[in-house]
Amino acid sequence: MEILAERRRIVGRRSAIVTDSDKIREKRLVFYKDDIDKINDVLKEFLSLSDSKANILIDKEGHMVTKAGSTDDFDMQAVSALVAGSYAATREMARLLGEDEFSVLFHQGKRDNIQLTLIGDRTILATVFDERTTIGMVRLYAKEASVKLGKIFDEILKREVEGGGAPLGNEFNESAQNQLDSFFSE
Amino acid sequence: MVQINFALKEVNCKIVYYGPGLSGKTTNLEVVHNKAPKSNVGDLTSIATEGDRTLFFDFLPLNLGQVAGMQTKFQIYTVPGQVYYNSTRKLVLQGSDGVVFVADSRRGKMDENIESLKNLEENLREYGLDINTIPLVIQYNKRDLDDIHTVDELNEILNKYNAPTFEAVAVTGEGVFPTLKKLSSMVLEHLNAQHGSARIKSKSAVSVKEPVMAGAAGNAPTAQTPPQAQSQAAPPAQKEPSGVVQEQVSASPGVKPVERKVPTPTNKVTQKAKRKTQAPPPPPVEVNAGGKGKGGLIVAVVIAVLAAAGAVVYFTGAWKNFV
Repeated sequence: MEILAERRRIVGRRSAIVTDSDKIREKRLVFYKDDIDKINDVLKEFLSLSDSKANILIDKEGHMVTKAGSTDDFDMQAVSALVAGSYAATREMARLLGEDEFSVLFHQGKRDNIQLTLIGDRTILATVFDERTTIGMVRLYAKEASVKLGKIFDEILKREVEGGGAPLGNEFNESAQNQLDSFFSE
Repeated sequence: MVQINFALKEVNCKIVYYGPGLSGKTTNLEVVHNKAPKSNVGDLTSIATEGDRTLFFDFLPLNLGQVAGMQTKFQIYTVPGQVYYNSTRKLVLQGSDGVVFVADSRRGKMDENIESLKNLEENLREYGLDINTIPLVIQYNKRDLDDIHTVDELNEILNKYNAPTFEAVAVTGEGVFPTLKKLSSMVLEHLNAQHGSARIKSKSAVSVKEPVMAGAAGNAPTAQTPPQAQSQAAPPAQKEPSGVVQEQVSASPGVKPVERKVPTPTNKVTQKAKRKTQAPPPPPVEVNAGGKGKGGLIVAVVIAVLAAAGAVVYFTGAWKNFV
């Protein structure tokens, strides 16, 4: 019990130290075409090596970043939100058990299975696969993909810390207001 | 936490409906789901108990449409209201860009409202967010009931944050849209204030600032590249010698990618060569009689017969008789 309590204290201390890069990391997530191209290359390679059906990269808030493979059958927005919810719930369980977080989750179905792998601090890779491959293969190549994606995210974070906000343009507010007026006209 | 995806040309924001149990959060979402144009909202997903009380969250994706060239999407969540579910409520609040606090106007419910608001403040603080600065709208719901507090009373007790407030009767849909509209507007203004003015310094990032559509790999919606950007976005197309790329029509669910043939320079040359070698179009009568192929054949036969007759006349010397 003492060990468990000590681990909780360590986890608590870690979360209490918030650096500038942590703040930026928490506030924004901006992807450019170059970023998505690099991520897509890794996802395509992973898809082919692991023989999985689909790979979906989702941020922790439940927004999809990009995807590879056949995902036409899925309602991507709902799947993304539920993956993020599932992950958040498991992380809370981990915290209660004195773990930082569980970095891999696995849901087994009759036909399809899904594995969730934490990528860096901010995103989750959801891999959907069936009997064409095995969980071992998926896990093995997911580990490799996770390292490659982690490096890409480090680059993105570095750019965010050094750079600034994303250029949305001066016309954004006006355009948003017009769109809201038309959308919510009763 | 906003996600800006210049590759998919999307801005994604998260909005959370917060408030005490049975104050009408899920009802708000149901009204939005029913009243908003069907093409702009997805399915309402609910993780509820058998008694239909929200267990984890309700979720509704809403696509506002194009704002300054970006598809602007809101993911709207509700939290479970009961005190018992604070751990899951806190999880849903993580990364939210704006909050609607749905207060129950009935007398006797004020303590629950105060407790829930206090809980919101604490949970936001745990994520490093301040209730005074995050976009917040307060909705006074159930205004159609008899024994309710006046708006002034509610304002005095609940609205210490000077947040915009709206009266609502969520079951009839009254006040639901104005509440969401105001919060959406505040979220987008907040977003632009955070992200709009500054510019990316990184050189590589500047080179891809242009609105070039890219997308997912494999069979997923892939790329829509304006002509001037096609050389930059070459990798997916290069792997397809026939020049087939997939065009993303819309990012909304259920929309399937449309295959689009992009003629390559080689294709153009081949097409020109084909046009040169094609037989002249057959006379209309022949087309009506039997189609293009048959007409061409008849013309060829006639030419061959005439040529043969000419050759016979020439070689037999019969032409001398005519001279």
